[in-house]
Amino acid sequence: MSINKERKLTQSQKMMVFVLSMSLFGLSKMITELLPSNEVGPIEFSISYFAFIPLILAALFHPLYVAVGASVGNIVFAGLLMGDFGGIGEIEGFIEFTLAIYVAGLLVRNPLSKVQLAIASLVGVGIDQLLSTIVDIGKVWFGVEGFDAVPGLPESIVVLEGVSFLNEMVITGVLVGLIPTLILTPKLYGKIEPLLGMRPRDAKVETSIGSYITPGLIATIVILTFVGMIAEFIAEMDMNLAFWSADFINQFADDQKWIGYSAWVILAAGAIFIIYKLVRKKGSGTADLDQAA
Amino acid sequence: MILFENVSFRYPGAEEWVLKDVSVEIKKHEFTAIIGGNGAGKSTFCKVINGLIPYYYVGDFEGKMSINGEDAAASNVASLSSKVAYVYQDFENQLVRPKVLDEVIFSPLNYGYKDYIERGKRALELLDLTHLADEYVWQLSGGQKHLVALAGALALTPEVLIIDEPVAQLDPAHAIQLYEKLKYLHSELGLTILVIEHHTEFIANYCKDVMLMEKGSVKWKKPVKEALNSVEELTEKHIHPPQVTMAAFHERPLSEQLPVTLEEAGRWFENYTIHEKGMPFTVSPEKQQSIVEFNGVHYGYKTLSRKIVPVIKDLQLQIKTGDRIALVGSNGAGKSTILKLISGLIKPLQGDVFYKGDSLKKVSPEKRAEKIAHIYQNPEEMFIEDEIRKDISFFLKVRNHPAQEEITNRIVQQFNLEVLKHRDGRLLSGGQQRRASLAIGLAMQPEVVLLDEPTASLDIATRKKMIAMLGELDSSVKAAVIATHDMQLVAEWATRVVVLNRGEVIADTTPQELFSNQFLLREASLVEPQIVSLCHELKIHPVELTIDGFLRRIKWEESASECFSKVL
Amino acid sequence: MSVFQKFFSKLTVENIKIELMRTAYGNEPTPLAKLDPRMLILWVLIYSIIPWLTHNQTILIGLTLFTAVLAYMSRVSPLLIFLLIVGVISQFTYLVFAAMFLGNSFTVLIAVIPVTMKVATVSLATMAVFTSMDPEKFSDALLKLGVPGKFSFGVSYGYRMLPILIEEYQNIIHSFRLRGKLPAKPGFLYSRYVFYYIKMCIMAFYPMMLNTAKRTRTTVEVLEVRGFSYTLENNIAKDIKLNYLKMTKYDYYFIGISTLITALIYIVGYQFPL
Repeated sequence: MSINKERKLTQSQKMMVFVLSMSLFGLSKMITELLPSNEVGPIEFSISYFAFIPLILAALFHPLYVAVGASVGNIVFAGLLMGDFGGIGEIEGFIEFTLAIYVAGLLVRNPLSKVQLAIASLVGVGIDQLLSTIVDIGKVWFGVEGFDAVPGLPESIVVLEGVSFLNEMVITGVLVGLIPTLILTPKLYGKIEPLLGMRPRDAKVETSIGSYITPGLIATIVILTFVGMIAEFIAEMDMNLAFWSADFINQFADDQKWIGYSAWVILAAGAIFIIYKLVRKKGSGTADLDQAA
Repeated sequence: MILFENVSFRYPGAEEWVLKDVSVEIKKHEFTAIIGGNGAGKSTFCKVINGLIPYYYVGDFEGKMSINGEDAAASNVASLSSKVAYVYQDFENQLVRPKVLDEVIFSPLNYGYKDYIERGKRALELLDLTHLADEYVWQLSGGQKHLVALAGALALTPEVLIIDEPVAQLDPAHAIQLYEKLKYLHSELGLTILVIEHHTEFIANYCKDVMLMEKGSVKWKKPVKEALNSVEELTEKHIHPPQVTMAAFHERPLSEQLPVTLEEAGRWFENYTIHEKGMPFTVSPEKQQSIVEFNGVHYGYKTLSRKIVPVIKDLQLQIKTGDRIALVGSNGAGKSTILKLISGLIKPLQGDVFYKGDSLKKVSPEKRAEKIAHIYQNPEEMFIEDEIRKDISFFLKVRNHPAQEEITNRIVQQFNLEVLKHRDGRLLSGGQQRRASLAIGLAMQPEVVLLDEPTASLDIATRKKMIAMLGELDSSVKAAVIATHDMQLVAEWATRVVVLNRGEVIADTTPQELFSNQFLLREASLVEPQIVSLCHELKIHPVELTIDGFLRRIKWEESASECFSKVL
Repeated sequence: MSVFQKFFSKLTVENIKIELMRTAYGNEPTPLAKLDPRMLILWVLIYSIIPWLTHNQTILIGLTLFTAVLAYMSRVSPLLIFLLIVGVISQFTYLVFAAMFLGNSFTVLIAVIPVTMKVATVSLATMAVFTSMDPEKFSDALLKLGVPGKFSFGVSYGYRMLPILIEEYQNIIHSFRLRGKLPAKPGFLYSRYVFYYIKMCIMAFYPMMLNTAKRTRTTVEVLEVRGFSYTLENNIAKDIKLNYLKMTKYDYYFIGISTLITALIYIVGYQFPL
């Protein structure tokens, strides 16, 4: 059984989900632009977007229409209407964000499962942030002639982007992603769907194993691709990195510490992957039981 | 022209039929009001006519509906909706384009008419909206928006026009304006018009026929006079006939022909004699303590060009203990603004608001809330929690009030919300929502309560209950201020009326005097209750504000009655 | 008064609302607005790519200047242009510092200049085009270029609904404030206030989501009645509607002049590379 069958929508329901996601995320995007931001050095304590809105909607409705709607809302409200339209740059954001939310939505098979919601939130924001980090690094890489010949540049871009990635994951991913998603999804479940004339997703029935190999694959592929790319990127640059060591200052001369950094990244990705695998197993276990029953 | 033959419908998966075996005919050039309680199937009936049912809401559809002899089963939404125009109750959501002209050309453009611009312009002309063509929709007033929605529907040159509860969202002056337009469309363009309407006074004045629906079926369809004369049947179904009809009914229940309009009532009561009554004895105000005081307050909002449009000008006003103040005036007169200035949602540009002598300049809304409760016009915007009970206790909870459980339980009981307390406010009916919003406000144990249009978009039966509930406010608060268009509410509830016109207080008086002063009423574009109009018509002075009061003032003349009945 | 106090005193929802509305609806006609939006979109696309294809600094300077002039012509204030460039530079400041620190050399300072100009060129080109383009026109152009109709609808629907949504959100926020409780103390760097407001902003989306869902249902039903889905399936309306999009002689002038200037910049660049 495919996702389309499980969350089958009529043409008009698709439109409703699209319009809903678009208006809400667009509005939220405008609000986050107005919220105060606090910069401490290169680290910016600001909220990029209210990730919980598309995450919740993607968990409750068809994730594709939610994802596309949210991305369109972002462009329309925060971009066109606010005069902050980034031209070609918006296309890049559109693809990243749509993919991220879509994958996050696919990961949720039971909107009442906290574990699934949590994973979906982190993976969703993670994908978006990873992709935009790649693009940012890519920009400097393409834009600077003889990128690797400039001493210190490759390391510092990776360090800075890494820091901002983590920062985003904490603020956007957890504070305004994971936590509100966990709080609000159960409140909205069963309440918002009838307002659109739809039946809530069945929380208890797990779909068959075949249906979520695809989302799993997508998630792992995206994560692995990124890790692979970073690893290769760093390896090729042969650069020096000193970030995760305790005596940070003393490490500038040390040439070997980048391994620690990339290892950390791989480790994190690996952990996510394993957790995901476990959940999947658990899910398939229940499905088997259901089938047996 | 529209023919229903044994039509039944139910939503997929639902047990109950929303429409049950409906057979009725609506002839060309009718002006029919559809009445009936909640869940009677009025909207569903109308949605069958424009094809939303069964083409958009797929479900079990039985029977046959035809327009001009064409079976709807062989048609589709597109072709049906170009014949049948629909204006929704929440018309705000019907407007989907940024500017007025875009809005009215939207349908003709979508259906591929080459002359879409002319069609749109013609529709605007028809409703005298041409001057608004280049305006942004969001800048229009509620009444204008409703007319634009209507124009958008008319641009397809439909044969049938369906309007869902137009009066619910409009103030009385705009409602009259709208009905005048409908009358014009009906008589000049020969449109067939169907309105879903609770307000029998409008039905009596404008409609030709009335169709009563109950539990998904059509009970009857009668000419308007006959329909509104069935006073007992209607009241039983919580539909209230016009005040003049009620007055006449109480006077002579067995009369064959009760009046339904003011004009008829004037003739009907012609031979009654009127008791004289001096001006009512007004209690000289006791030493009232001032609670809220406005001192030279100015307020205005910024427009897009950053210019400031004044809303409130040099306001001097005292709200005293024991006051039941009604703020009245047309849209934009500044009623809601005054409430917001008190609760601190907005700040005066000049001047100051005082609470018991202390300036409120630096007091946050959160702090003011401990003394002042502000209840919105739209209750849905007050439900911030996922169930009513949590909403009621929210204020107490964030303040760690020691008696929060007790107070919450008491309020829940007082407002009869026991059954509903775990439901989400948004999923309640209009009347229940109002009740809940009032409960939320009173759970804050305020000294002053501010209410914005507490009776708007309620049907008349619920409105009566609401007025009664407001009457009990005195026991728990020191003063209450209501901003309202509802003159019935003013007549029955207020002890003091503050009349606003363009941001200035033009009168601060009693309801009695307000309604006796026709000049003042006109200046503030207020529409008095029908019973007051009848008093004016019969030269009863001072006026009576209620039907009971009116009945006490008139007397049946035996001799005259005989010739009266002969005339009839 | 600290920055924070200033911020909070200005943070009346009313003020924010009016500023939002100003940016969204306060468009004024500019010279570029007369041109065919499709052509402008194409032009921006080209100008978003060209700068990345060269490392020649003379060319980059030329491109930056050209787009800055265009931005100025479409009534972007010089101050805004200046701020934009400063903004782009500051984007790379941390990078420069970090690289100088890690790499122990100043070469990065020079290495970053071209990338700064590239980003600036793209931003200026975008700014020049989109400040003068009415969102409706933009969506029409995209529709004509084959972007799905839903997107173009989204643009105008957003344009229409924005004020209503802001208003509603504002009311819900007010609801929170009318019953809530400000933290007793502002906390370190006003952190408690910040937290209070941010939490409120998030929680306000719960009612907002439900209310919007209700609204959406009517809207989509209306779209059905008013033939929107009918149009999506047929192309009649699209053709009629987009009939006005035509290339005029001004468009050709613009293309001609643009090409000429760009070519000139390249010739000069290759002759006198920096």
